[in-house]
Amino acid sequence: MKVEAGKINIVFKCDREEIPGIVNLCLDHIRKETHVKPVDLLTLAKLKWIITELLTNAVKHSGMEECTLTFEHDTEQLVLEKEDTGKPLMLFENNSGKVITWPLSGLSEPLEFQIYHNGTDSLKVRSTEPDGAAFFVEHLDDVQMPGLLIDTSEHFGLLIMTKASDEFTYTYDPILKTNRFRSIIYLKNSDYEA
Amino acid sequence: MVLQVNALSDVVQATILPEEASLANADMFKEEMITLIAGGTKLVILSFENVNYIDSSFLGSLVVALKYAMPRKVDIYLVALKPDVKNLLTLIRMDKVFKIFKDYKQAMETIN
Repeated sequence: MKVEAGKINIVFKCDREEIPGIVNLCLDHIRKETHVKPVDLLTLAKLKWIITELLTNAVKHSGMEECTLTFEHDTEQLVLEKEDTGKPLMLFENNSGKVITWPLSGLSEPLEFQIYHNGTDSLKVRSTEPDGAAFFVEHLDDVQMPGLLIDTSEHFGLLIMTKASDEFTYTYDPILKTNRFRSIIYLKNSDYEA
Repeated sequence: MVLQVNALSDVVQATILPEEASLANADMFKEEMITLIAGGTKLVILSFENVNYIDSSFLGSLVVALKYAMPRKVDIYLVALKPDVKNLLTLIRMDKVFKIFKDYKQAMETIN
């Protein structure tokens, strides 16, 4: 682990047994980094959920032996990033079942589709550039059957990260062949100061 | 072993033992829950009293157990959830599909 002013950098060996320990390590350092004006308990809980799911995602989907987790903060926001050189993002379009893989080829207009819904929330992805994707949630009305009883587990992690973040994005770097998931939590409504 | 089980007549009280309910024990939890449900009980009351940490994989296993239980007319109640765990269930709306109680006692009162 590397700690600089306002920044924490951790190399995670993609071992599922290590996830709880790494999460606690990160949270301890985030508490130290933000000790002047501590972040509130709900924000800490969100950070815990996001770190957990970023690391779980690395174990389940990256196919790599390690990834890097970075935490940065200033007076405006908290930023978590997970970077690896594993398989690029691949998602199933919920309605058609079509497989969409990043980087997108032949993108002439913004791409947007539903990944999953749980009866109340629709988890969607939108891409305006071939190498990027932004995740967001829309509220659904009048859906009777909770989607989580139809479509299980694989999207819980993505839904958790999207709902716990104010911004949750994916970027593929075609030169370095790296995947970067980035979660931002805004601090504008709190009295937090770095 | 992930669950400590106390079988009553038509009810099974099952306490999740690890503090960390995660990818590392999610599959074992799912298998133990399915064994309980297949054993002929009418209700599984699942206690999270030890759980400080839960992830999407474990929650996924919980939903698989519910999907296995529903056609067999078996209920699953959740009890003793710590605030972080309950807030996470609420975040992804799982509180809409599980009955959640304060503790075993409160859950048992609903069936007596």
